[in-house]
Amino acid sequence: MTHPDLNQIEKQLKNALRRQNAPADFAEQVLARLAAHNSIPQVRRDPRWSIFTQPLVRWTAISATATCLVIGGIHYRSLRRERAKGEAAKQQLMLALRIAGSKLQLAKAKVNEINATQTANRSRSEEE
Amino acid sequence: MAESVLADHPPDTVTGFADLVRRHQSMVFSIALHFLADRSAAEELAQDVFLQLHANLPALKSEGHVTFWLRKVTAHRCIDYKRRRKLPQVSLEEVAEPSAPAPAWDPLFERKLRHVIASLPAKARLIVILRYQEDLGSEDIAEALSIPVATVKSHLRRSLALLREKLVRSMGEVTI
Repeated sequence: MTHPDLNQIEKQLKNALRRQNAPADFAEQVLARLAAHNSIPQVRRDPRWSIFTQPLVRWTAISATATCLVIGGIHYRSLRRERAKGEAAKQQLMLALRIAGSKLQLAKAKVNEINATQTANRSRSEEE
Repeated sequence: MAESVLADHPPDTVTGFADLVRRHQSMVFSIALHFLADRSAAEELAQDVFLQLHANLPALKSEGHVTFWLRKVTAHRCIDYKRRRKLPQVSLEEVAEPSAPAPAWDPLFERKLRHVIASLPAKARLIVILRYQEDLGSEDIAEALSIPVATVKSHLRRSLALLREKLVRSMGEVTI
């Protein structure tokens, strides 16, 4: 025969692909890995949280939390803006009151001064 | 008979499972070795298969079922491994030409044949391995790989033709 025919190739394939022995300690290696795997404490999940392992529920929860955070953030910002406006109005009122108080003080001083002058004039004319 | 093997050596005990591993280790290791052509990677993959077997023991009722399951899982893990690692595909042109005639059993020729097998696409290679290492029929291979029987047959036909062509080309008028 000059060319390998299919039967010949099949025989050669069977020979080339015959089973090989696994390493001598193969089973022991598997058992060692199994023991190591079993000795790792498995995290026990609280069954109440197990519902969140379902993708739909998990994504719904994540979306709801994100929406709440966004709404809360917007609400908090508008509250801060309102409070700042209130503070500014209070400051303006205080300034206005302070100005009005100083003006009253000035008016009172003027009145006192006029009264004193009049009293002095009246007593001088009585003496004459 | 098949059931009694599992019944006599319950695999849920350490010694029972070790016996089960020893009975099947050569099959699983050889499929991985012939597919990956790398001893340490084949050993690791075979160990992973047996760890997975341990986790699935309650679902396996007989020795025949275990053998079928092991072939199926090993085959799928081989494909996954190749997909993840992107094993370098050896092209037929890169396969070295033999310089001497090949007698009936020649380690060099066998090495060359394995190299040519390694040049086959992953699925075709796996089909050839299951056919010639495990002596499985097309139906059994189709079941193990979850593909149609016709696909198995066409892969086998094409792979054999390719292997023959390459061997003829590389050996010239040499008798084997």
